[in-house]
Amino acid sequence: MMNRLPRGCVNVGGELASAMEECRRIFIAFFESWGYSPFLPSGLQLLESAWDKLPSQVRSRLVALTTPYGEPCCLRGDITLAAVAYLASHYAPEERPLRICYSDRVYMKSAPPRTSIESFQIGAELLGWEGEGADAEMLSLLLRVLDALGLERTTIALGDSTFLQRALASAESSAAESLADALRRGSLPDYFAVLEKGNIPDFYRTILSAIPRLRGDISVLAEAEKLWGRGAPLSALKTTAATLESQGYGNRISIDLSLARDPGYYSGPLFEVYSWESGRSLGGGGRYDRLLSSCGLMGQAMGFALDLEQAAGLSRFRARRSQVMAWAGGLSPDEALRRAADLSSDGTCIEMNWNVDRNTSLQAAEKRGCRSWVDLASGTAYTLPPDGKGGAS
Amino acid sequence: MLTIALPTGRVFTDAAEMISLAGLPCDGLASPGRKLVIEAGDFRYILAKPSDVPLYVSYGTADLAFVGGDVLLESAMPVVELLDTGAGRCSVVVAGPRSQAERFRGHASELMGLKVATKYPRIADGHFSARGAQVDIIHLHGSIELAPKLGLSDCILDIVQTGSTLRANSLEVLEHVCDVSLRLVASRKSTALRWKEVRSVMNKISSLVKEKRS
Repeated sequence: MMNRLPRGCVNVGGELASAMEECRRIFIAFFESWGYSPFLPSGLQLLESAWDKLPSQVRSRLVALTTPYGEPCCLRGDITLAAVAYLASHYAPEERPLRICYSDRVYMKSAPPRTSIESFQIGAELLGWEGEGADAEMLSLLLRVLDALGLERTTIALGDSTFLQRALASAESSAAESLADALRRGSLPDYFAVLEKGNIPDFYRTILSAIPRLRGDISVLAEAEKLWGRGAPLSALKTTAATLESQGYGNRISIDLSLARDPGYYSGPLFEVYSWESGRSLGGGGRYDRLLSSCGLMGQAMGFALDLEQAAGLSRFRARRSQVMAWAGGLSPDEALRRAADLSSDGTCIEMNWNVDRNTSLQAAEKRGCRSWVDLASGTAYTLPPDGKGGAS
Repeated sequence: MLTIALPTGRVFTDAAEMISLAGLPCDGLASPGRKLVIEAGDFRYILAKPSDVPLYVSYGTADLAFVGGDVLLESAMPVVELLDTGAGRCSVVVAGPRSQAERFRGHASELMGLKVATKYPRIADGHFSARGAQVDIIHLHGSIELAPKLGLSDCILDIVQTGSTLRANSLEVLEHVCDVSLRLVASRKSTALRWKEVRSVMNKISSLVKEKRS
């Protein structure tokens, strides 16, 4: 039987799907409790709406198509754009800031080695705030929700695109572009080769030379400030890092002043989330005020998105076993369901089993990795071994 | 423990020598036998097929790696390139029989439909696309020089060190594509979370490279 999926697409089922659903539920409930409204964006975006707001390297990864009405579109590659458009068209200035959270699929061609075109994202955005606090709120909530998902072994790498952009402003535009591009690609030899050739004032050359090694704990900020002197464009990042440190998250953040993220519309503090158990970034985000102003809106915009599949795979819900198998034991369906309902009323997760034979039912419970097996007729219960093998005890 | 991936094959000796000269623990690295994972001090070395090395790094399985510039370019994987060690220096070139040379001297349209055999389809595509030439890329895995000889392709795109293999097969360099050498790379995660250790290795190798150049 041919059951191939289109290349880059994925079916998720079983334990991982269950963990993803649990993570999604916790994530949305957590952010709702902090005043973030769930947001369900349209699956298609008009190309004309997305095109001029995305950098070329992102545009080339969009999955473009034409609707049955003949409109050139792309599958939603980015929920942030949809959120900003939603804010612009639905909310008056006095109704801002807008806080939204989401869990949905996005479609974009992946960079090698991955070939996926669809992924699951959970994320949150805080749009249109004018004062201090949004960065710290978003990062603090992100760390709390990571903990709630059982992702305590995660670290947030924090950078600031303003710092980099201000340092690059001293270089000629082509050199500045090449330097930023080398950092995005992660090529330090290319970066230093451009830096060597570029016509850059000594003061900024010193800073630009140091940027690739300005990584590490929070003391890096003092090092960068010392290098820049008065007026170092680091105040937003310093405030955010200090707030997180005072909240006890000092060991969960690291500084990386060379950090540059796709899609490239960031305009302030930005970050990447890493788990010690995984090699790839779980996601990230940052400030993107310029994107807001490109839609004619004033104020700050801050948001992030995480890869739900990766997060769930590392979460504490990943290896959860089915809880209790409830054997009908010859009872009528009506009576068996009544007794099972009693059993599950305290929150126990149960799975019905209608096998006629008691031993077959018990074996099925073992094979399916159930924690225990209950005979609903007699009330007898057995605890099953954790590896799903061996006899009941 | 920091994990470093090393490519087996041509550049393994260069990489192992560099590790040793830089003063990193390297017991057992000189003669690994059939071992694919070697632990020495606070380091774990993974011996991997050269083309797999960028993959180990981009997935964060290895924190650091030595990898040929050609392999790195071809893989296009998201890693942080820390250093050009200068070792194993060679070039990626387009080579072919002398009869093809005229096509390369003329307008890009002369190259339309050119059949190029290569182990590096991504580099070949990037190179000819940048010139605006639509070519037919034939992906081979070895003995590339055979392709023009047997009429499978008009030319090849491959790495060249001394040029003796080309000469032995009556081929000559038609176009220089880029220079490549052994690079020190790191995973993005490790540069974000383990920068101190990564930087320490990078500095040691960097000092060694500077010392060799001076």
